[in-house]
Amino acid sequence: MSVLSIIAFAHRIAEETPVLDKDGHVTTHSWILPENAEIIYGGISSLLIFFMLFKFGAPAIKKSFAARTEKIQKELDAAAADKSAAATEAATIRQAKGDIEGERARLLADAATQAAAVLEDGRVRLAAEVVDLEAKGVTDIASAQGRVGDELRAEIARLSSAAVDHVVTGSLDDATHQELIENFINRVGAGS
Amino acid sequence: MSDNRIEGYARGLFEIARAEGTLDVVEDELFRFARSFEGSDSLRSALTDEQIPPAKRQAIIEDLLGGKASATTTQLVAMVVGSGRGRDLPAIVNNLVARASSVKHQEVAEVRTAVALTADQQARLGAALVKATGKQVNLKVVVDPSVLGGIVATVGDTVIDGSVRTRIDQLKSRL
Repeated sequence: MSVLSIIAFAHRIAEETPVLDKDGHVTTHSWILPENAEIIYGGISSLLIFFMLFKFGAPAIKKSFAARTEKIQKELDAAAADKSAAATEAATIRQAKGDIEGERARLLADAATQAAAVLEDGRVRLAAEVVDLEAKGVTDIASAQGRVGDELRAEIARLSSAAVDHVVTGSLDDATHQELIENFINRVGAGS
Repeated sequence: MSDNRIEGYARGLFEIARAEGTLDVVEDELFRFARSFEGSDSLRSALTDEQIPPAKRQAIIEDLLGGKASATTTQLVAMVVGSGRGRDLPAIVNNLVARASSVKHQEVAEVRTAVALTADQQARLGAALVKATGKQVNLKVVVDPSVLGGIVATVGDTVIDGSVRTRIDQLKSRL
């Protein structure tokens, strides 16, 4: 049966005799119900529209729902992964906290050990420095003694020189000058 | 001053003194004046000060040597000082003395004593130095109080030191 034959069949069923009012105007059969043709054509159109919607709209809607479902699933999966990662991180932090305590204890132990070593080293170094200072002090004292001795000898020499100058120049009278000159002349003359 | 200029001045002074016939006297006086010039800072600064006019410097020479040295010596020194060559006076005089000694085939014998020597002592000392060095000597006596006593004689590169100053210095070194 073709579409045209269906339409023709429907037309025959819907074909009605027009109803006239007392003035001769065409009017409806019922004050509330539509005409038969309107019911038939409207019903067919509605079925056709529902069919079209089911045929073409349903896959798109179904696809849209599927996509939305997939998106929601992904978000749920991501939330679950985040939760798992957070749990892992929390476990790591808790472990790290435990490690920090251990590290603090280890550092404190190391610091105590190093402090003890530094203290011992300082004691040894101080003892060595004391020995060096004592030796240097002894050397400085000996040097100062020598220097004072040298200065004393230099002062004695200076005073002696001044005394010699004073005595010699004071004793050089004319007779001595002449004697020195004569001795020089005689010595040079005899020395050839 | 360059050696050539010093030699030029010395040759000029030498020729003037020889022409005057007073070479021995002038040479001796110049030598003694040069030694005094070297030994006196105030004299040296006065005669070499460029701020003092040449006439003033020459007047100083006249005051110092006038009546004590021959006129030729005084004029020659005044000429050198007046020409602004006072700083080179000792070198000029030494060159002149060496030149005069060379002419006389002698070696300059510089003798420093604390007191002046008599003529007899100079003669005997000259003879002794001739005997000691084997050279004819042109004796130049300088009275130098820093010697204190005795004599220091320098003939060329030979130094014969019999001064009290040297003996005291040696004693001080030992002390």
